[in-house]
Amino acid sequence: MEAHDIMARIDALETRCPKLGHEVPFGYCRREAGALPCPRALACWSHRFSVELVLRTILGPVAFEAAFGAEPKSRVQNLMEAIEAAKARCASAPQDGS
Amino acid sequence: MEQIKVFLDESEMPRQWYNIQADLPTPLRPPLHPATGQPIKAEDLAPVFPMNLIEQEVSTQRWIDIPEPVLEKYALWRPTPLYRARGLEKALGTPAKIFYKNEGVSPPGSHKPNTAVAQAYYNKVFGIKRLSTETGAGQWGSALSMACQMFGLQCRVFMVKVSYNQKPYRRSMMETWGAECIPSPSDRTQAGRKILAENPDSPGSLGIAISEAIEDAVGDPEARYSLGSVLNHVLLHQTIIGLEAHKQLEKLGLYPDVVLGCAGGGSNFAGLCLPFVRDKIHGKNVTIIAAEPTSCPTLTKGPFRYDFGDTAMTTPLLAMHTLGHDFVPAPIHAGGLRYHGMAPIVSHLLEEKLIEARAFDQVETFTAGVQWARSEGFIPAPETNHAIAAVVQEALRAKEEGKEKVILFNWSGHGLVDMAAYDAFLSGKLTRYELPDEEIRRALAATDAFPKP
Repeated sequence: MEAHDIMARIDALETRCPKLGHEVPFGYCRREAGALPCPRALACWSHRFSVELVLRTILGPVAFEAAFGAEPKSRVQNLMEAIEAAKARCASAPQDGS
Repeated sequence: MEQIKVFLDESEMPRQWYNIQADLPTPLRPPLHPATGQPIKAEDLAPVFPMNLIEQEVSTQRWIDIPEPVLEKYALWRPTPLYRARGLEKALGTPAKIFYKNEGVSPPGSHKPNTAVAQAYYNKVFGIKRLSTETGAGQWGSALSMACQMFGLQCRVFMVKVSYNQKPYRRSMMETWGAECIPSPSDRTQAGRKILAENPDSPGSLGIAISEAIEDAVGDPEARYSLGSVLNHVLLHQTIIGLEAHKQLEKLGLYPDVVLGCAGGGSNFAGLCLPFVRDKIHGKNVTIIAAEPTSCPTLTKGPFRYDFGDTAMTTPLLAMHTLGHDFVPAPIHAGGLRYHGMAPIVSHLLEEKLIEARAFDQVETFTAGVQWARSEGFIPAPETNHAIAAVVQEALRAKEEGKEKVILFNWSGHGLVDMAAYDAFLSGKLTRYELPDEEIRRALAATDAFPKP
């Protein structure tokens, strides 16, 4: 089987996303953070197939490290950072917002 | 006829929420400001939340009065009935008595409005005109939409685009309740426009939707942001569930041996369990269990059990034979194996050993959910199925031990808008993929077909 065929099959697999609350295909999870996968992709998919093997192969070591090499932030940490970032954006362009 | 339900009269509805911060053996660590590393101050949060909710967030007052206008709205569906799950007891052949709080009777069908109504009220009395929030599947967005309508607030919901396209019925619920539901990323915010400029077809993510909702609130002095899980004041508002259950079991002369709920962001688990954690702190013998998915092992592999044995803070996950004996994989941070969406209070209770956590995979949970639907009638929300899987485990344990345990859990919502998830389970889509590792490895190793980010 060719790599593209395998990826097409794997990308179409579905699991329930604990963040969104509905089923998503693996193709979404591996691009959830823009060019990088969701930091939870390993945890969510490891019981279904060899997700680490796949992601190491398609990402390469640098991107894999960027995705999974650091401690993911907690929801509260993310919230606080989003608040500070939003304040900065709104301060620089006060006409934006609603 | 055997009794199935225990009701409370509206006059018996609790008049105060319970704040566990007053009883914690050690205080919660405050959240830190990302720029300074110092504890967040009230003024840091003021552009996002009204001061009356910020005060609740940091309060250590044990009992907090529920305002009369909130009680009036609660009374539309509260007190919720306490049910005895006699059908499931018979199906399992267990001597255990299984009770559940049916939070699916609320208008949006879940426990979420317990805090949505309170948050809408507090924003209204603070003078706020509009609330902004994010949502995935729409359980929270629909609850807040209804609550805002009840108090005459505008509501804007940034719904992750992949969810917006996949969950049209919850989007319709939000719009029916008068909210503006916007697929995220959108052109309404700088955060959204930046994403769309880079990728016009972006399916969005919860992180992007949060950024948009917060920016939307910060940029409008008459608007604030609202969150349906994780935060202390959210869990506080949910404690009405456990306080009602306490009274209902008292009417039967019973006290639970086991109390449990599913733990995603922690609000429905905490809502039922925190009043019983209080009892445990004061000497009651009760087991309290957070049921969570193996796909997001927040608690069962959480920081307090996992990191301490992992001083390098890294854990190579992959078995060496998978990639070859000469391949040394780059490390994966232990934290990457967890879901970091849990409420700080719930994580703290686990650290204090006041609760325990058990993980269930999605096949186990849907198996339990289907068994529930076939024995009790109601179709549970997929998240609720985690709690039901834990109930089944506890009930079968009681059977093995020959004990008449009293089990209480939070039936946090119905699954009538989640039938696609049941369809995926019933059609066998959620099982392990059959392609062997070796075949994946051989096919992928020989290709440069995948562009590297």
